[in-house]
Amino acid sequence: MVIPLDGLEYHPSGGPDDRHGGPAVVAKSAPLWVRVRKNHWTTRLIALAAFLVVWWILTTPWAWNGDKPIMLPLYLPSIPSVWNAFIRANTIHPIAEGVDREVVGEYGYYLWQHLLATLQRIGIGLFFAIVIGLPLGLLMASVKIISVSVEPYINFLRSLPPLGYIGLLIVWFGIDNTSKIWLLFLAAFPPITIATIAGVSGIKEDQIHAAQSLGASRLQVVSSVTVPAIAPDLITGIRVALGFAWTTVVAAELNNGIPGIGGLAYLSGTELKTPLTITCIIVIGITAIVLDSIIKAMERVLTPWRGKA
Amino acid sequence: MSRDKSLVVDGVRQFFGPKNSRVQALSRTDLVIEPGQFVCLAGPSGCGKTTLLRLIAGFINPSEGQITVSGSEIIGPGPDRGVVFQSPTLYPWMDVASNVELGLKFQGVSKDQRRADSERYLQMVGLTDFAHRRTYELSGGMQQRCQIARVLASDPEFILMDEPFGALDALTRERLQNELLDIWRKTGKTILFITHSVDEAVFLGSRVLVMSPRPGKIVFDEPAIFSKPGESIAAEEIRSLPAFLELRERVRSSIQHSH
Ligand SMILES: Nc1ncnc2c1ncn2[C@@H]1O[C@H](COP(=O)(O)OP(=O)(O)OP(=O)(O)O)[C@@H](O)[C@H]1O
Ligand SMILES: [Mg+2]
Repeated sequence: MVIPLDGLEYHPSGGPDDRHGGPAVVAKSAPLWVRVRKNHWTTRLIALAAFLVVWWILTTPWAWNGDKPIMLPLYLPSIPSVWNAFIRANTIHPIAEGVDREVVGEYGYYLWQHLLATLQRIGIGLFFAIVIGLPLGLLMASVKIISVSVEPYINFLRSLPPLGYIGLLIVWFGIDNTSKIWLLFLAAFPPITIATIAGVSGIKEDQIHAAQSLGASRLQVVSSVTVPAIAPDLITGIRVALGFAWTTVVAAELNNGIPGIGGLAYLSGTELKTPLTITCIIVIGITAIVLDSIIKAMERVLTPWRGKA
Repeated sequence: MSRDKSLVVDGVRQFFGPKNSRVQALSRTDLVIEPGQFVCLAGPSGCGKTTLLRLIAGFINPSEGQITVSGSEIIGPGPDRGVVFQSPTLYPWMDVASNVELGLKFQGVSKDQRRADSERYLQMVGLTDFAHRRTYELSGGMQQRCQIARVLASDPEFILMDEPFGALDALTRERLQNELLDIWRKTGKTILFITHSVDEAVFLGSRVLVMSPRPGKIVFDEPAIFSKPGESIAAEEIRSLPAFLELRERVRSSIQHSH
């Protein structure tokens, strides 16, 4: 699951932020310790620097250690070697030092192509999760028999770790993309369905009544009241689903996952290309944060009334 | 007056809650509201005024008895009965103007016509400058006015209003009272108007009802002569009429004695 980002939010306006309990506006000239106290970005930058310093200390050869780093490169590669792996993965380069043959990126694809392949799988899986999960949720919220009979299966499915049933999906749909998309779909649709049901049960009765008194037909009630009223919950559901799909995708790409960022992380690990593995991990993590921020931004733009009415 | 188009509350009782611990909100109520009446309903808090309004609106079905309009039973909400809710019920995903236009939109009125109508009613309730704001940007009283504009724009036969002016300052309240009277005089709509203000009830109504505390029962039902369709007397003039003061006093004491 994507880490909830409520604590990591960037406030470009720098306005007062009640959630963090303090003004974010701090004069540039203020002493560092004041800025640390008042500005979360300063704090974060310092924390990042400290992290990099520790990494550097652990991976630099030291004379007192017999010119060896504290941690062997196999376990923790140095910062430059990770950077090199990142560059290598994005360029055409010789297959090995002193060899003439040149190859593209890693395993025949640039890093961004691996990432794109994974994003595509997630996109398709999430698309079907919404297309199926939303109407199913609406149906379950309005037809008792359906909700009573379907809900246990959704809860069952939700409780399964995707690694548990990937094998079965491979048997059913083959080792290629289809089984991976199925896996992502199955991981992503229960949160969306459940969020939809929660959204419908949270609609104020009088909002429906008001529309009916204004002459709304059944369909008009759904389009003018139900759907917009559940939008905030639905977006939250999509956010949870995306986070879950993102962590699931590595499992999906364990088998035949090239191109794919999860497949690349796994394969490079098994081949002891640790710098590349760490590069992948960083890319996976940053992508998750970026995706989550995108959904949060959508939330602000699409449902500005959230929490206000 | 023709009885066919009347709204008839016939032997209605209302209970809430599960069978073993049910609460009676309305004791047996019979009421006929003739077309064109401006019925004001007063009574202490919690006596069942809103319950009666919701029954007529079709939001709840009576536990006993039935309610009919023009002879046919009310089985649900409908565009013939517009409702101004006690607490504003607007849609935060639409701007103020779209909220006001919604009824017309449901009826299939063209966009231009809708715009024109909503502008007229927004002007009436003094929200022209807020037409394109979101509803949660309005104050409580402004939301209430927006709700009133929404119902008036959709042009129902019956207007059911639950303490519509309760949240307004005296001046705005007086202006909207006069606007409502104007609309009523011009259109001859049937209005059920719940209020806590005895003065407002006697001033606006062509008929004043008082309900006793729970279980609610109509204990006072008299015509008020002060605002008739077709004539408009200045508000101060009405309020200084001896007959007005006398009726106001009797309504007040009937509310007090119903406790
Ligand atoms: N949905 C409900 N479930 C249970 N009890 C209800 C419900 N609606 C109303 N009641 C009860 O019925 C009684 C009458 O309520 P109602 O809302 O009609 O009062 P009211 O006259 O409108 O009061 P107020 O002037 O405070 O708005 C109250 O005792 C209330 O608790
Ligand atoms: Mg009430």
